[in-house]
Amino acid sequence: MSYLNNPAIVMDNGTGLTKLGFAGNDSPSWVFPTAIATAQRSTTKSSGSGASTSSAQSASNPYFGNSTSATSFNSLASATLMSNNLAGKRGTEDLDFYIGNEALTAAQGPSYSLSYPIRHGQVENWDHMERFWENSIFKYLRTEPEDHFFLLTEPPLNPPENREQVAEIFFEGFNCAGLYIAVQAVLALAASWTSSKVVDRSLTGTVIDSGDGVTHVIPVAEGYVVGSAIKNIPIAGRDITLFIQSLLRERGEEDTTLRTAERIKQEYCYVCSDIVKEFNKFDRDPQKFAQFIVENSEKTKRKVIDVGYERFLAPEIFFNPEIASSDFLIPLPTVVDQTIQACPIDVRKGLYNNIVLSGGSTMFKDFGRRLQRDLKSIVNNRIALSESLSGTRSTGVDVQVISHRRQRNAVWFGGSLLAQTAEFKSYCHTKQDYDEIGPEIVRNFSLFNMV
Amino acid sequence: MPAYHSTFATDAQNDRMVGNVVLLPLKTNFRGPAYQANSDYDIIDECLDLFRANSFFKNFEIRSPADRILIYGILFVNECLSQLRATTSYNEGLKLLTNVALDDFAVPGTPGFPMNNVYSVPVQSHAEMDLLKSYIQQFRQELAMRLLERLYVYSKDRPSKFWLAFTRRRFMNKSL
Repeated sequence: MSYLNNPAIVMDNGTGLTKLGFAGNDSPSWVFPTAIATAQRSTTKSSGSGASTSSAQSASNPYFGNSTSATSFNSLASATLMSNNLAGKRGTEDLDFYIGNEALTAAQGPSYSLSYPIRHGQVENWDHMERFWENSIFKYLRTEPEDHFFLLTEPPLNPPENREQVAEIFFEGFNCAGLYIAVQAVLALAASWTSSKVVDRSLTGTVIDSGDGVTHVIPVAEGYVVGSAIKNIPIAGRDITLFIQSLLRERGEEDTTLRTAERIKQEYCYVCSDIVKEFNKFDRDPQKFAQFIVENSEKTKRKVIDVGYERFLAPEIFFNPEIASSDFLIPLPTVVDQTIQACPIDVRKGLYNNIVLSGGSTMFKDFGRRLQRDLKSIVNNRIALSESLSGTRSTGVDVQVISHRRQRNAVWFGGSLLAQTAEFKSYCHTKQDYDEIGPEIVRNFSLFNMV
Repeated sequence: MPAYHSTFATDAQNDRMVGNVVLLPLKTNFRGPAYQANSDYDIIDECLDLFRANSFFKNFEIRSPADRILIYGILFVNECLSQLRATTSYNEGLKLLTNVALDDFAVPGTPGFPMNNVYSVPVQSHAEMDLLKSYIQQFRQELAMRLLERLYVYSKDRPSKFWLAFTRRRFMNKSL
């Protein structure tokens, strides 16, 4: 019964990045792309699959560094794969695959094909996903699943059949001790409890989750997602990167690769209060123009990129989508307002009061402040209108956007918080429960009600 | 937040209007019909300030007659930028932009002007059309000169590349 003392394992498999780690930790132990490179049947026999590169793996292995990008990888120059000698043997093609950053590197060669088993937050390829989990547990976390409880995450509106499939893989495939599947938005809410602005630890609030592909606005009332009111915005990290790239190209900069644009996004961008004022600030103070030096593999030529107005224009596309796209024109604050207005009236105040940010694309400086200001003005205008129409006084609505330090991996961190509590194991379904009742046991999980 | 609008208020009784275009006062030494502006900030400064932000917008709702001058100014700045190269020096730029400003141009309301649906001017009245034409002439000259000051603020050898990057943007998808 060693699992009673071992920390639970928290796994957050996102569309772009997977976060792995142990409950109780501050940050995930591994962050890598949710990608798997599998051997292509035709070439496995002939290639021998790089079995010669069995170099000793030191702690400083570059593949185990945490990544911030789902599509690229820093030190491709020093590419030697971790050895996977099994591939040379016959009948073991199933075991010849790589995940994470190694997969990205392997896929550059001829004998592997890359696939992303999760699309739009949901598992598309169960066979790949099972192998991805297998490697996550045995090669990265290096644990025995029967000694640990697992906390997995799922997107809102995930069909229960998908949960059953997950349970089958984890209980029958890995023989894990216990399992809990949590909704990502709820975990993001829990992660915000670390912020000093949060006074009561309620599970009511609006989660704005912006990753690489899409931005979700998800209302959560007392731990339950209000499914009918969820809204998606087709603007997220990748669109910002592409917009920066187009600005760099218009200016004719020397290097306009996506990688450069992404680095500029991560290092230089911030949200301003008003773009005309910000343009004038740049005119008055040339110090605001920055320079970015592109790392070059051959090191002979140093490329210097000037970074200009994209510093504040890029995140502006959340608040003014018109400047980058022609088909989606509704600003983020308006979408948040519409989402909350679509919820039952008795929870709206709680939803306005606790707007929580999650995901890498909400990390821009002053993102929360701008959102709060814009949303407040929308709400106040509506209150003023209804007051003037009805002639009564409103008690007012308090709009509060919460930014906190764990925003980037908020979902994982929320999972880590909940899974370290003493009650966590009583909320899980155990292997014994599963053996007795079957996969449908995971259709329901009791909610955390923490005070 | 939609595109930015002109902050100059017009009132139809006191301001000089040609059709629905208002002839706002300018700070300028070029000869023409415009009144001297009393304040430090005139419509030309506003055009230059709003040019970069508004260039990103394709939709623009006209709220006041001053917005029509603003649209003209922004489109004209774009026209000027398209004449310059990354290596054009200040003196060459001065020549080029003077030529652009003095070139023959389509007056709003006449055939050849791209946005006649938002400008309604009394085409029949010769006196009014002449007034509008000479006002816009003066407006173009002053705008071109003040644009040059902003373009060459850091170096007299080449224009600011951050401004030139806006050449390909099309405000309201239009160009003069």
